[in-house]
Amino acid sequence: MSVKYIPVQWNKNKWWYDGFMLAGVVGFLWVFLYVTPEILSHERPINPQIHNARAFGACAFFMMTIILCIGPLARLDKRFLPLLYNRRHFGVMTAAVALTHFSYVLNWYFAFSGTNKYEALLFSNTSYGQLVGFPFEAFGIFALLCLLILAATSHDFWLKFLTAPVWKRIHYLIYFAYAAVVAHVSLGVLQDQQNHLFTVVFVASAFTVAGLHLLAFLHERKAGDPDAVPDTDGWVQVCHAKDIPEARAKIAVLPSGDRVAVFRLEDKLSAVSNACAHQNGPLGEGKVIRCLITCPWHGFQYDIRSGRSPAPFTEKIPTYNLAVRDGVVLVNPKANPPGTYVEPVEV
Amino acid sequence: MKPPVKKDTTPFFVGYFKVPKKLRSFLLIAGVAVVAFMTAFGLVSGASQDDPGDGAFRFDYGRQTVTGVIELLPYPLLHVTEGNDRIKPGHTLMLTAQGKSGVFSRAEPLEGQKVTASGIILERGALNMLQVRGGARGLGPAEGSGAPPVSEPLGRWKLAGEICDGKCLAGAMRPGRGIAHKACANLCLLGDIPPVFVSTKPVDGSEFLMILGKDGGPLPAIAYDYVAQFISLEGDVSRHGDLLVLRMDPATIEVMK
Amino acid sequence: MTTAETLLWLARIWLIVGGVTAAAFLTIGIDRIDEDAQGTYAFRPLLLPGILLLWPLVLWRWYVLETGRDDPDARFKPVRTAHGAMAVTLCIVILGTVLFALSSRQNWPAEFEPVQLSAPDQTPSGEVSE
Repeated sequence: MSVKYIPVQWNKNKWWYDGFMLAGVVGFLWVFLYVTPEILSHERPINPQIHNARAFGACAFFMMTIILCIGPLARLDKRFLPLLYNRRHFGVMTAAVALTHFSYVLNWYFAFSGTNKYEALLFSNTSYGQLVGFPFEAFGIFALLCLLILAATSHDFWLKFLTAPVWKRIHYLIYFAYAAVVAHVSLGVLQDQQNHLFTVVFVASAFTVAGLHLLAFLHERKAGDPDAVPDTDGWVQVCHAKDIPEARAKIAVLPSGDRVAVFRLEDKLSAVSNACAHQNGPLGEGKVIRCLITCPWHGFQYDIRSGRSPAPFTEKIPTYNLAVRDGVVLVNPKANPPGTYVEPVEV
Repeated sequence: MKPPVKKDTTPFFVGYFKVPKKLRSFLLIAGVAVVAFMTAFGLVSGASQDDPGDGAFRFDYGRQTVTGVIELLPYPLLHVTEGNDRIKPGHTLMLTAQGKSGVFSRAEPLEGQKVTASGIILERGALNMLQVRGGARGLGPAEGSGAPPVSEPLGRWKLAGEICDGKCLAGAMRPGRGIAHKACANLCLLGDIPPVFVSTKPVDGSEFLMILGKDGGPLPAIAYDYVAQFISLEGDVSRHGDLLVLRMDPATIEVMK
Repeated sequence: MTTAETLLWLARIWLIVGGVTAAAFLTIGIDRIDEDAQGTYAFRPLLLPGILLLWPLVLWRWYVLETGRDDPDARFKPVRTAHGAMAVTLCIVILGTVLFALSSRQNWPAEFEPVQLSAPDQTPSGEVSE
C-alpha cells in the first residue's frame, strides 16, 4: 500500500506473525535435527545428509499444510482472518525450506557420479510406467518450481503489474504443488516406512487440508453472497436497507457475476465493487473506519463516496449508482469507472 | 420513528492497527498452536524414522591392503590370496571406486592376474566390498601369478527379494536401499557399481548375491525398472570363491504383491 | 542429446532469455509502466527471480501496459468461481493419491523360501567356468 515500492513491508503485527511462524519452523527443525537422533536408538545413525533432507522436506510439507488451512479457516471463521494477513511471508519461508530439502537431496543422492547432478536427477529413474518405483522426484521438482514461482511473485509489485485476477490464477499453483507433494511423499518415503506413525500424521494432515477446503466450499454454497433480484430499468434489488449494519455492508452478486457491496455510514448508503484493487479481497466483508472502507485482508482503504484510496495512495475501485425505494436498496449494475464520486443516498 | 440501526460487533482486524482486544487471546492461542504443532510434528516425523541398518564405511579398520586375483564378471571380483587380520585368504571381494563408479576399466587390463588392492572396506553383515584408492596404488599388478577359483554351479533357483546397488547397500548410504533410494541406486548401477540381490532367505548360506544378466553380462536395462521393488525371479546361481552370483532371467521377474 | 540434457539445455535458454528480459525490464520497462517504481531501486533485485521464471508473462504485461491495451475493469473480476472446483478436485486427488499409493505399497516377502528349480547338472546351458 506504499506509494513507492520498498523491498519488504513490516509492521508490529507482521513482526509478531513472522516471529510465531519462524518459531514453529525453528522448533520443527531443531527437534528433528538435534533431539530425535538422541531418541532413535539405531545401531548406526542415518546419514546426516539424509536426516537433514528429511527434516527440511517434512518441515516444508507441514508448512504448506498450515498455509493451505488458513484460507478455508478464515472463510469458516472470521477470527482466522489475521492469519491470512501476512501469509505471503510464510509462503516465502516455505519455498526456502523446500529449496534446502532439494539441495540436500541433489548433493547427496545425485552427487558423487561422473555426470552432472541435475542431469542425474532427471535420468536416474525413468520408470514412469509403474506406480511402485515411480520417479517420485518428478513430483517434488514440480512442487518446488511452483513454490519458487509463488515466492518470486510475492512482492506487491506483481499484484499491480499482473492484476490481482492474473496473480491469483498463478497462485492457484499452490493447490497443484500440494497435490504434487502428497504424491511425492506417498510414492516415495511412504512406500518404505515401516514405522507407520509418520504415515498416519502425513495422511491426517493431507486429509485436513482437503476436508477444510470441502467444508469452506459447502459453507460458501450455503451462506455465500445472494444473487441480486432484477428490478425495473435494468436495475437490481440488493437487500433491505435496514439489514445493513452501521459501518458494514451487504454483498450481492450482479447478473454479470460481479459483486457489489453496499455500505452504510450514518444512515447514508454507498455502493462499490466488492473486489479490492490490491488482491481482490472481499471489501463487503470489511468495515468503514473514519469514512474509509477497509479491506478485511490487508487493510487497503477507499473513500466510501468515491472508491479512491486516501492520498498519497492512488488505488481506485469502481463505484455503483444506487437508490432506496420503500426501504429496498436498488443498484444500477453498470459499474462507474474506478474512482467515480457518487453522492451517498439517504436511507 | 426510524428503526434502530443494526450493529455488527464482530472484531475487525486491520494489519497496521493494534489488534482488537477481543481477538488478542484467540490469535495468541493460534500462534502458540502453530509453534506447538510444528514442534510436535518435528518430533513425530524425526523419531519415527526406520533403522537404516548397520552398513558402514569401516574407516575404523583403517586402510586395507590385500593381494588376490581379478575375475571379471564383468563386475570385477577380487579373490584374495594373501589377506590380513580382517580379510582372510579365500575371501571374494566386490570392488568399487570412490563415489558412484565401479572399477571395470581399471580392472579389465588386470583380468586373471595377481593384483594388490588397497582401500576402505564397506560392511553390512556378511556383505562387504572394497572401495579402492585412486590409481595403481588402489589397484595395481602384483608379483606372481594366479588364477581365479573354479566356479561351482548351484543350479537354477527361484528367489524373492530386492535388487540393490551393492555399495549403498553395504553402507555407503544409510539407508541405502528401498524406493526412496531407487534413483540413487540406479545412478550407482549405471556407474558400474556391482548390483546385489538381497534374498528373503539365504541360498546356500548367503542372502546376498551379486546379480548379472542372463548371459553373464552386466545388469540388463530392463532390470532397472525393478530396482528397489520386491520381486521374485529365476536364474542360475553359482559360487565364485565365497561369493554367490545370480545370472537372472529377466523374463521371469514378477513384482510381489 | 539425451532427454535430460535437452531439458537442462531448455532450462538454461529459458533462464538466459529471462536474464535479458530482466535487464531490460528492471532498467527501462518498469519505470515506463509503473509510476510507483520510479526513482526507487532497492526492491528491484527482489523481482529478478520472478522475471527469470515468468519472463513471457512479464513481456506480455509490459506490451499490454505500454500499448494502452490494459482493460481497467479486468482488475476487479476476482477468480472466485474456480475455487469450488479446485476444492473438490483437491479432495479427490489427495484421497486418490494416498489410497492408490498405500494400496500398492509392498511388504518384504520375508516368508518366501528360495526354491531350487533344477540341479546344476540339469542346467540347460551349463555353467560357464571362467
